[in-house]
Amino acid sequence: MKTSRGLIFALLALAAGVAQADKLDDIKKAGVLRVAVFDANPPFGFVDGKNKNIIGYDVDVANAIAKKLGVKVELHPTNPANRIPLLTSNKVDLIAANFTITDERAKTVDFSVPYFATGQKFIAKKGLLKQPDDIAKLRIGADKGTVQEITLREKYPNATVVSYDDTPLAFAALRNGNVQAITQDDAKLIGLLARVPDKAKYEVSSFALTQEYQGIGIGKGETRLVALVNETLVDLEQTQQAGKIYDKWFGPKSEAPLPRGAFKIGQR
Amino acid sequence: MMSSLFPGLLDARYLFWLLKGFGLTLQLSLITIVLATLLGLLVAAAREQRWLAAPCVVYLSVMRNTPLLVQLFFWYFGAASLVPEAWMVWLNTPKSLLGVPWPSFEWLAALFGLTLYSAAFIAEEIRAGIRGVGRGQRAAAAALGLTGWQAFRWVILPQALRIARGPLFGQYMNVVKNSSLAMAIGLAELSYASRQVETETLKTFQAFGVATLLYMFAVVLVQTAGRRRAV
Repeated sequence: MKTSRGLIFALLALAAGVAQADKLDDIKKAGVLRVAVFDANPPFGFVDGKNKNIIGYDVDVANAIAKKLGVKVELHPTNPANRIPLLTSNKVDLIAANFTITDERAKTVDFSVPYFATGQKFIAKKGLLKQPDDIAKLRIGADKGTVQEITLREKYPNATVVSYDDTPLAFAALRNGNVQAITQDDAKLIGLLARVPDKAKYEVSSFALTQEYQGIGIGKGETRLVALVNETLVDLEQTQQAGKIYDKWFGPKSEAPLPRGAFKIGQR
Repeated sequence: MMSSLFPGLLDARYLFWLLKGFGLTLQLSLITIVLATLLGLLVAAAREQRWLAAPCVVYLSVMRNTPLLVQLFFWYFGAASLVPEAWMVWLNTPKSLLGVPWPSFEWLAALFGLTLYSAAFIAEEIRAGIRGVGRGQRAAAAALGLTGWQAFRWVILPQALRIARGPLFGQYMNVVKNSSLAMAIGLAELSYASRQVETETLKTFQAFGVATLLYMFAVVLVQTAGRRRAV
């Protein structure tokens, strides 16, 4: 019968599918690891002005994973909205694109251990902010109507919070000395700091008020691949490689210096 | 709590924020009105003197022909960057003078900017009042043996103020409304408080509605004060 034959084919295909579900073997067989990375989000992933290759922090991490697997890496440029569809439609094997770990996303994809941390941080004159307790005594500039403003007031009810219409205005107030520190997402802060002429006087705090973690995105249920990626990432930390990659993109001599803080790969 | 019975209402905590902001708006407006009136009188009087007229005209046109918001930014961000760093640290350190807490730099910049701006308009209202006094009054005062200053102080000015009273109180209402721009330089007055309440509660209508009512209340207060003195 047509229907039952179709059903058998379907079942066979499904069985084959299950047998093939192990992505790790597929990658090794193909000899290529396909990774979705950003191409316009420095320093995580962006096009190199000289030879038009995609480079960045995430790219270095992707290369390390490919090296561990003993395969070539194939980069697929993506943007925030396309990351998950690329993975679920099997166009790529991994997402390494400043991908923040959230409960919502964990329903669709599996995450590796965290390999990068961002958070709400501060800019202040060098040496002024050493530990979180220093905040309570200062006048802090924030952006009106942002999550950061609310978090700051919740966590430090004694700090004087002065809110401005946007981050550049808050930064102007900091440079004038009207406030002693300003708070925002660290990625935004280093972007601001990179453009000002007297940036040597300021620094981004090493501690954060809130913490978000970025991980490698992996297809749901690929436990062996997840394990291998985790192993690679933890190895990077143990062999001191992680710190070197970090310094290359965020170290004191980079375009966007950002203290690494206490974060280590695999920790929360 | 009222707010749990009526979920549309603002929590007492947020009403308190708005009232605190309103207090700051009233305080800033009142002090500005007093200082701007004094300065306005001086400028109006100086404009009548031949050798002081030119600088007064420059001041009046700069203040009246540029937006107040830009002026506030200039005093708070621009002028502040020219002040030596040690002064800024001193200005921004909390302290108290004779038991009165030293105001924040935001407050000082707002008061300074708002006073200079409002004084220009007030000076022009007073000058219009002075022009409205009959020429014969000055001549008559001189004939009675009064000096130029005595004539101005005792004959011209009282009549000029009577003429200018209506427009002057109009300017005072403007001071209350203009004080809302101080939120752009981080002063936590009523408009700033309403934005903050809106951010935290997401009750847009209530936050701005209460602020609007409070502004109306303040302006009506000024209006009534003006009427009463006119009787």
